Amino acid sequence: MAKYVLNLAHLYGDLLNTYGDVGNILALQYYAKQMDTEIQTTVISTENDFHADDFDLAFFGGGQDYEQVIVSKDIQNKKAEIQKFIEADKPMLAICGGYQLLGHYYLSAQGKKIPGIGVLNHYTLNQNNNRFIGDITIKSEDTGEVYHGFENHNGMTFLGDGEKPLGTVVSGNGNNDQDNSEGAIYKQTYCSYFHGPVLTRNGLLAKRMILKALHNKYPDVDFTTQEQYEVQPTF
Amino acid sequence: MSIRSSFAAAAGKSSYWLLHNFFHGGSSLPGKITVALDPNILRAFGKDYDVVIVTGTNGKTLTTALSVKVLKEGFDNVVTNPTGSNMEQGIVTTFITAKKSKNGKTIAVLEVDEANVIKVTKHITPIAFVFTNLFRDQMDRYGELYTTYQKILDGVANAPKATIIANGDAMIFNSQTLPNPIIYYGFNHLPAGDIKAPANTDSVLCPKCNHILHYGFITYGNLGDYFCPNCGFKRPELTNQVTRLTELTPTSSSFEIDGKPYSIQIGGTYNIYNALAAYTLGRFLDISTDQIKNAFENDSHVFGRQEVIQVGDKQVTLILVKNPVGLNQVIDMILSDKDAFSFVGLLNANYADGIDTSWIWDGNFEKLKKHDIPQFITGGERYKDITFRLKVAGVDNLIIEPELKDVVQRITELPTKKVYVLATYTAVLQLRKQLADQKLIKEGMDA
Repeated sequence: MAKYVLNLAHLYGDLLNTYGDVGNILALQYYAKQMDTEIQTTVISTENDFHADDFDLAFFGGGQDYEQVIVSKDIQNKKAEIQKFIEADKPMLAICGGYQLLGHYYLSAQGKKIPGIGVLNHYTLNQNNNRFIGDITIKSEDTGEVYHGFENHNGMTFLGDGEKPLGTVVSGNGNNDQDNSEGAIYKQTYCSYFHGPVLTRNGLLAKRMILKALHNKYPDVDFTTQEQYEVQPTF
Repeated sequence: MSIRSSFAAAAGKSSYWLLHNFFHGGSSLPGKITVALDPNILRAFGKDYDVVIVTGTNGKTLTTALSVKVLKEGFDNVVTNPTGSNMEQGIVTTFITAKKSKNGKTIAVLEVDEANVIKVTKHITPIAFVFTNLFRDQMDRYGELYTTYQKILDGVANAPKATIIANGDAMIFNSQTLPNPIIYYGFNHLPAGDIKAPANTDSVLCPKCNHILHYGFITYGNLGDYFCPNCGFKRPELTNQVTRLTELTPTSSSFEIDGKPYSIQIGGTYNIYNALAAYTLGRFLDISTDQIKNAFENDSHVFGRQEVIQVGDKQVTLILVKNPVGLNQVIDMILSDKDAFSFVGLLNANYADGIDTSWIWDGNFEKLKKHDIPQFITGGERYKDITFRLKVAGVDNLIIEPELKDVVQRITELPTKKVYVLATYTAVLQLRKQLADQKLIKEGMDA
C-alpha cells in the first residue's frame, strides 16, 4: 500500500481518448508509485458532475472532431468547477482537444467555431487542408528541459494574457506557424499538442505535477525523498 | 478489351513474370506499369468478373483468404489479390496475372484498402462489399474514424445496388442510411445484460442522439450488442450469427454459426469474425453450410497475419500488430496458451508502421502480468518506447536488444520452447530478413 493517495479526474475519458493519451495517466501512476503514492482515477463525462474539491489532479485529452463538439456543449456546465480547480493551483494536463477547449474557442477543420470555456486565454484557428504532423522537440525557457513528442493537429493556437508557452520549438511546428511556441502553462495547468504521450517521454513533467499535488494535499509533510527521486530518460 | 488495354496488360504481366522469378517479389510494380500505359485498365478487367470488395481496418486479409476458400467450393475460378496488396496497383496486378475462365464470369474477391475503395469502384461495379470493422488505426495517415468511413462510403456511392455485408456489431456500419441492400452478421453467444464499454474505447456515441451507448455484451473493442438507453437506437437484426464459442486456443477456434459447429485452425476472437464474414458472403452467393464447413476445416493453412517459424529448438509465432484493438486481441489470444512462453515486442515507426508510436499506450500490456511470463525482449528502431511501455505495465524481467540480428540470437537463448513475437510491419519484414540471412526461413512474405 502506498503511503499517499491522489485522486485524478479523467475529464471525458470515454469520449476524448485518441492517440494513446491515456498513457499520460499510466505514466503518472508509474512515477507516483516510485514516490510512494497511489493515483486513483475517475472518469468525469457528460453524465457526471465535476467537483473541484474531490480531485488533486486532472487530465483532459483530445478526441475526434465529432466527440469534441459534444464535449464543447457539456463542458459549459462544468466551467465554474474547472476554473475553481485551476485557480486553486491544482495540476492539470490538457492535450490537443482538451487544450483547445480550455481556451475561448477553436475553429474545426471545416471552419466551424466551437466554443471552449475560456478559463485560459488562448484561442485556436484552423489550417486550410493541412495538419502539423511529425516528431517535435521543444525547450522550456524556465527550466531548460527539453521535451520530446509527436504532433498531429489541424488547429493553430495563439496564447493570451497570463499564459506562457510550455516551450520554444527546437524542431517541428508547435502551436502555430508564427511564434515558435508550443503548448501553454497557466498556474499548474500544462497544455500541449504533444502525443507520444507527453508524460511517457518527459517524466520530469510528470514528477512536477505529482509533487505539486502532494504538497497541495499534504501541506505539512516533508516530501524530500520524493523530490530526490531521479527520473530516467525514456526517449 | 481494347488494344491499348491488352498491350498494357501484357506489359504488366511480363514485368510480373520477371519480378516474380528473378527478384522473388513484385506485387505492385506490374500494376504500376499497366496503369501507366492504360489508366482505364480496371474497367476493362471489371467486365469479365463479378467483384466482391473486402474492406475495413482489421481482418481484411484473412476475411479475403477465407472467402476465397469458401467460394471455391461453389465456383470453378476465384481470383484474389495476395498478401495485403490492397492498393490500386496491387489490384491491377491481380487481374493481369489471373487465369481467365473459359465459360462465363469469374468471381474476384479483392481486399481493398479503405481509401482505395473509390479508386476501384470508379472503374468496376462490384456485386458486394464486405465491411469487417473500423477501429482507430494509423491516424497520422487517415485521420479520424468517421472520415475513414466516409471515404469507404464515397466509394460505395459508385455502386448503389451492390449488397453490403457488414459487421452488425460495429455501430458505425449502422450510422448512416444507404440505398444499398445490407446484410448484417454478428455475435449472439451471450445473454444480454446492460454494460458500458471501458473508458478508453473509441466511438461509443449514439449516432442518433449522442448519448453514450450501452451494450448487452461486448465481444472486444467497441463491438457487441449495442443499444442506446436514451433513444432506443440499437444493433440491427443479424442475418448470420455466431451462436456459441466452443473452444478457443492460440492456434484454433471452435464455434457455432446459426447453431452449426465449425472450426478454423487459427486463434483469436477477431478471426472468428473474419470467418463469420466469409460465411455470410458464402451464404449470400448460395454456398451451402456443408460446403462452408468443408472450406473452413479442410486444408487448414491460412496465412493471416501470423506465422510459426522454427528457430533452433524454439517455436516462434510471429504476429503482425498495427493498432491497439488488434494488439489487444493478440494479447488475449496468446494468453489463452496453456504452455509457458516468452514475449518479444518489436516496434518500428516507419510510414508502413504508422509514424506515431502513441498507440502502444492504448494496448493492454498490463494483462501480460497476469500470466507468469519468464522472459521479455524488446527491440526495433523504437525500442525505447516499447521498453518503457512494458515497464509501466509492471514488466521487470526484460532484455533490451535494439538490433534485430541480436534479437534472433536472444530468442534462441530464451527459457521457454514457445515464443510469441509481436512486431509492427517493417519490424516483421526486417526480422524475416534476419531469419532468412541466417538460413532459418526462405525469403519473401509468401514462404
